Amino acid sequence: MHGSSDRAYLWIRVFAAPGLLAAATITGLLAALLWGNVGQHVAWVTVGAPVAVVAWVWVRRRTGKTGPFLPPIGGKKRP
Amino acid sequence: MKARTVRLWSVVHTWTSLVSTLFLLLLCLTGLPLIFHHEIDELLGYAPQPEAHPSAARATPQVVADAALAADPGRVLQYVSWDKDEPGIVMAFTNSAPDGAPDNATVRAFDALSAKLLGPVGVGPMLIVLKLHTDMFAGQAGKLFLGAMGLLFAVAIVSGVVLYWPFTRRLRFATIRDGASRRVRWLDWHNLVGVVTVAWALVVGLTGVVNTWAELMLSQWKATELASMVAPYASKPPPAHLASLDDVVARAKRAAPGMEVAFVAFPGTPFTSSHHFAAFMRGDTALTARLLKPVLLDGETGEVTDARALPLYLQALLISQPLHFGDYGGMPLKVIWAALDGLTIVVIGSGLYLWWARRRKRAPLRGGPFAGRARVPS
Repeated sequence: MHGSSDRAYLWIRVFAAPGLLAAATITGLLAALLWGNVGQHVAWVTVGAPVAVVAWVWVRRRTGKTGPFLPPIGGKKRP
Repeated sequence: MKARTVRLWSVVHTWTSLVSTLFLLLLCLTGLPLIFHHEIDELLGYAPQPEAHPSAARATPQVVADAALAADPGRVLQYVSWDKDEPGIVMAFTNSAPDGAPDNATVRAFDALSAKLLGPVGVGPMLIVLKLHTDMFAGQAGKLFLGAMGLLFAVAIVSGVVLYWPFTRRLRFATIRDGASRRVRWLDWHNLVGVVTVAWALVVGLTGVVNTWAELMLSQWKATELASMVAPYASKPPPAHLASLDDVVARAKRAAPGMEVAFVAFPGTPFTSSHHFAAFMRGDTALTARLLKPVLLDGETGEVTDARALPLYLQALLISQPLHFGDYGGMPLKVIWAALDGLTIVVIGSGLYLWWARRRKRAPLRGGPFAGRARVPS
């Protein structure tokens, strides 16, 4: 039981951010098509989100603020 | 995920990517200027500009048609179109025959008010870029080939998402391991940029594939829906004289209330029968402006003979076009589209580098005790 909940947590942690970005992108692509002017503004934010994430990571690297590795799950050592 | 499963997906990802890499780079590189083709054409002087006419009346469609024929003696009209975003311009397509090859068509812009010839459309360097992007100057075969490359791209994306799990499950999202080797750093960038652009890349890739099937879909529509719409006229010869375009446009508007004419196809062209005009009507919202509705009109009398919505597959084609071009959300969306295109080039380029670097790293191991064993990410 413990192993499977660890795995579910890990799965969510790995795919939560990409999943949200994908959902935002699809929402924006459709919004501009379906909701006219308001939809265009939604699209600029949501379709632009992946670009903003990459820009943010790049800027963080340039300024030396890089993210650390996460500790191994459940105290297991990396192979 | 088992090591064997990872290896299988890795093989799928590697080879679908490698086979399509060169063509995807071509599509991304040519797609970049095409996002801004209106602006580039304007900058280079290839975009006809309407004249300024304070409070003048619009020229009637027939006057524009006459001007188009006068500008291209000995040829025939195929289409007359009205662009929603360019209300001051009417475009006319002439060719050697109604069913002449698209590459032999001449497109000219006319002032919507004075019907004065403003100049040719679709010429200049962007035409070369467009041909490279759509069919690599290889016609329908080139289109279908690029469509197949698009399908490989989609498989590469899906397999990439599957592999994202074993490669990043021990890392925080968006981690770039700066202390590691250059190959690992590029692997991190490849994973990050690939996974954040996955939805956009899939949408643009698959809508591009759908666009390569446009001619096939049109042929299917002609063989089924259009054939049944014009069946009562099957035994009639082509019209001896054509109805006035003014009459055709006015009747089409009455047959589709609340809609505007997007373009009129003349009898014998690929978009209609040999006996009918086809007026393709559009709505006034962002979505309905893309979903065209054909109204068929008798070529001689101009009477409306039928009007039906397009089948689902053609509606899907029409909706897929803006999702591929990115031209429906103003200049900010175009800039974002260009940035995402650039990021896709980074993913393709880094993937190529990772494949090459891994091959180079594995080369000295060949013949050793672990020869032939694929590496599995830790």
